[in-house]
Amino acid sequence: MLRILDRLEEILIASLMAAATILIFVSVLHRFGTGIPFLYPYLIGIHISWAQELCIYMFIWMAKFGAAYGVRTGIHVGVDVLINQLNPRWQKAVILFGLFGGAFFTFVVGTMGAKFVIELMSTDQVSPDLELPSWIVYACIPLGSYLMSFRFLQVCWAYWKTGELPHHDATNIDGLEVSPTAPISLGEA
Amino acid sequence: MSAALIFGLLFALMLTGMPISISLGLTVLTFLFTMTEVPIESVGLKLFSGLDNFGIMAIPFFILAGTFLTRGGVARRMIAFTTSLVGHLPGGLGLAGVAACAMFAAISGSSVATVVAIGSIMMPAMVEHGYPRRFGVGVISTSGALGILVPPSIILVLYGVSTNTSIGALFMAGIVPGVMLALMLAFVTWFIAWRNGYPRMKKATLAQQWTAFRESVWGLLLIVIVLGGIYGGIFTPTEAAAVAAVYAFFITVFVYKELKLREVSKVLLQAASMSSMLLYIITNAVLFSFLMTHEQIPQEMAAWIITKHFSPWMFLLVVNVLLLAAGNVMDPSSILLIMAPILFPLATNIGINPVHLGILMIVNTEVGLCHPPVGLNLYIASGIAKMGISEITVAVLPWLCAMLIFLGLITYIPEISLWLPRLLGMI
Repeated sequence: MLRILDRLEEILIASLMAAATILIFVSVLHRFGTGIPFLYPYLIGIHISWAQELCIYMFIWMAKFGAAYGVRTGIHVGVDVLINQLNPRWQKAVILFGLFGGAFFTFVVGTMGAKFVIELMSTDQVSPDLELPSWIVYACIPLGSYLMSFRFLQVCWAYWKTGELPHHDATNIDGLEVSPTAPISLGEA
Repeated sequence: MSAALIFGLLFALMLTGMPISISLGLTVLTFLFTMTEVPIESVGLKLFSGLDNFGIMAIPFFILAGTFLTRGGVARRMIAFTTSLVGHLPGGLGLAGVAACAMFAAISGSSVATVVAIGSIMMPAMVEHGYPRRFGVGVISTSGALGILVPPSIILVLYGVSTNTSIGALFMAGIVPGVMLALMLAFVTWFIAWRNGYPRMKKATLAQQWTAFRESVWGLLLIVIVLGGIYGGIFTPTEAAAVAAVYAFFITVFVYKELKLREVSKVLLQAASMSSMLLYIITNAVLFSFLMTHEQIPQEMAAWIITKHFSPWMFLLVVNVLLLAAGNVMDPSSILLIMAPILFPLATNIGINPVHLGILMIVNTEVGLCHPPVGLNLYIASGIAKMGISEITVAVLPWLCAMLIFLGLITYIPEISLWLPRLLGMI
């Protein structure tokens, strides 16, 4: 069950990223295309003035769910100068406090967002260009934030049990290996 | 009074090690809830509207382009090219490293990626050719910091968005300082190598140079597309970034063939997660600056500065000290997002150009990347070179001194940053 959620989260954010990129690229091509007399009659009928708006919405959705994914992978950076100096018992307490802070904040935000979305549902407000119902657009706030809160609690639980935090290793980039010898010939020394 | 409370709370929360984004958000929430009458619902709305800006969306696109290129063997080709050009000079591989960092920085826009991509190839190569390990680490970890100054840079976009400064003008303003810093770092490298008689490479023939250039030209073209497109008014910065991402995908998969199509989803996920992390800090930083403005803190500070007759000279000194101190504990994007909305109104009030302030802030955070305790570049270099942090700290000293001199120049000679955008009529 949880694994399906993890997988869905990954697929969602990666495909939003790809879709937004293609969307803006196509809209740029379209603008160029309308500048060419030969293509003009075909392209002028297609309106993609909504592309920017859709791109923004896609990225906001990506950001909300991606932030939750980031909690799971430990990509959110904090200041660890002080806590590294503490003795292990205090350190554990402070880190747990930090994680609960995260869970609390995202929960509060999620609840505020949910209230807001429910209010919007009773109106027929729509977004400016796409004319999507606003409540659908804003639904990413409660959904993303609750998911993030849940991820914080998960990390908390794992830390309580094992004392391990997810750690994002910036030096570890797939496809780049640190080889002990020079992987390319650089001529004679 | 409220300023002291807000910052006190923020620092206390940050020191617990919770993510910076969460500390910002919790500070705002606590303060609004206990001290003000602001309807708390408006906060929820801000979490959405804070990102509702097409300019911000350049960030995920640039990150995607950078992620593709970091994995795509572009770094290797650039190193081969710069080595063929300057390898025969004293400290040749070191100089080639600086030049490769400057070029790669331009296409990746991130200093961490630059250190990893160039360092993982260059450091072992330098050791193999008889350079001391320390020298290699010093060169790469400081040159990697060029990544956030040389355009297109993600941090410059952040500054542009949070202060409403033209991103195009900022990009142009970053060029001269970027080249200048690269030259200064190269000079230090050359001088150390020349004094110690480090090995040189055999001079490459013209034909070899040409081949190396042709191999790496695809990566270099990206800079031309982005900067040329923005300056020529063909795209907005965000569109340029999207085009750059598609272009990067195209060259890594089809031209260099370093990435298989099925690995693309991994790149997407990695870029999406990195962007979300930044966008999440941005959202909370927007909340924070909303609180600042609501409490009129920048305005009060500005008024205070005016009554005290602070000269721009003094003000810039204070800004430098403040940012260098912040650089001890925070990463560049957080510093920028928290400090820019506060410093910007103050600086414009006493007649400092916003573009100059932006470049100044970025050079400050660059220095912060290269010195302990949280010099990110040092940690990454230490991971690659398998050296301890304290040893690396000593190793980077000569280059760090050059960077501090450079910071002084940037601070007090605004024309270094402003000359090019002014020449192009962008400011």
